[in-house]
Amino acid sequence: MKLKIDDLYKHYDQKGVIEGLSLDLKDLKILSLIGASGSGKSTLLRLIAGLEVYESGSIEVNGHSVTADASNDYRKKVGFVFQDHNLFNHLSIFENIMLVLEKVHHRNRGEAEAEVTQLLDQFGLLEHAHKKPHQISGGQAQRASIARAMAIKPDLILLDEPTSSLDPVLTYEVLNAVRKLAEKSIDFIIVTHEIGFAKNIADHIVFMAAGKIIEQGSADILNAPKTNELKSFLDKILTYNSPEL
Amino acid sequence: MRKKSGFVAAAALYVVFYLFVASQALERTIDFSSYLAYAPVIFRGWLTTIAISLVSLILAILVGLILYLMRESKFSVLFYLAEIHKTIIFGTPLVVLAMVAYFYIGDAFGIKSKFWVGAIALAFYIGAYIADIYKGAVESIHINQWQTAKMFGFTRYQTYRYVVLPQVITSILPPLTGQLTMTIKSSAILAYMATDEFLNTIRTVQAIGFRYPEGFMITILGYLILTVPLIVLVGKLEKKLNYKV
Repeated sequence: MKLKIDDLYKHYDQKGVIEGLSLDLKDLKILSLIGASGSGKSTLLRLIAGLEVYESGSIEVNGHSVTADASNDYRKKVGFVFQDHNLFNHLSIFENIMLVLEKVHHRNRGEAEAEVTQLLDQFGLLEHAHKKPHQISGGQAQRASIARAMAIKPDLILLDEPTSSLDPVLTYEVLNAVRKLAEKSIDFIIVTHEIGFAKNIADHIVFMAAGKIIEQGSADILNAPKTNELKSFLDKILTYNSPEL
Repeated sequence: MRKKSGFVAAAALYVVFYLFVASQALERTIDFSSYLAYAPVIFRGWLTTIAISLVSLILAILVGLILYLMRESKFSVLFYLAEIHKTIIFGTPLVVLAMVAYFYIGDAFGIKSKFWVGAIALAFYIGAYIADIYKGAVESIHINQWQTAKMFGFTRYQTYRYVVLPQVITSILPPLTGQLTMTIKSSAILAYMATDEFLNTIRTVQAIGFRYPEGFMITILGYLILTVPLIVLVGKLEKKLNYKV
């Protein structure tokens, strides 16, 4: 992916959430945004998705200029996995994916059904295909949400803390599902607190605090942080984490 | 699960209360003969109550939708028209509105049928409450559902048609059924407009036979036969449709 952000500002009620952020990355596969709560990483992801309005600056993704009024052409190429699965509550897992493929992507019903079945099988969800979101576990719902994002065959998937509301076992399940995205050669940007996972999978890591980028680089920055902010963040987050994670 | 014996004991207490009132207030033995003589007329009145309630509710569903759309409109004149209507309806007794509708508004618009003046008056009254039901139901659709639809590139129409409306319908069914109960009870007010509905036919027979207590007994029973099944249905619908979001 190509991601170019130039002098971006975003405020909520006069309070700056993104403060003059710039980023210029090319030939990138997996970008991980890390930072403490309130650092602005989720907001940045939502701005990249075109879900929020920004005050000034610019965002360009793979040549598309992104705003909150981003065209549907852009949205059809970008998948988004929210913190809380956000499956449509009234539809089964199968219908959740079919609805998007049929109504937005105008896919032939027969072909779409075959693809959805195959996708759900890949994610170990076939036996739950006709259950509604409230009838399955949080981890299964989140995996279904990832499958839905993949179904549109996007160029890029954005994941906003997909494991934040899950217990460790379900987190493991979902992270495995995310890993599948990497194997499929789909580019993605992930906001995560799972530092071990980010280290393992990302080819670029951006550490944010107070709406700014404090440090960025390859996964090595997590082994040898240059700034006190990142060092202190890692000390706190890794204190109670097992080193194998 | 509450014990059935509790229900039997509560029902017995109501019977005791009734017998006490009857022993204190009734001077004569109970005699239903005048009501039996006019049974076909009373039955027709009872059917009229059902018809007027159903017609009113169907009209009220439309009136409520129009009022809701007016309140959501960008045009302030439409918004205020709906708001003023709601304020008048919420702040005035139904009996007053029904008489004004009967003596003046129906007359002004050349509507001679008492049935239709009554049904339209009730529809405008109940419609104000139904508009609030729509508002609550649409607001209960979590922002995430809207954002997910936006992210996947649904148009505004598709978002309403495939995501919002199916969820709104599910959540308005129980309160709408509740409104039908309200409409049935409120239709009694049309007796003041000399509409030949259930209460009015009973009042007429009361005036003929001077058997007032018996008339009230039949009235209460006649309304309960209509409303109790609906109250039970509302309870069942709420249980069935109340899923976790």
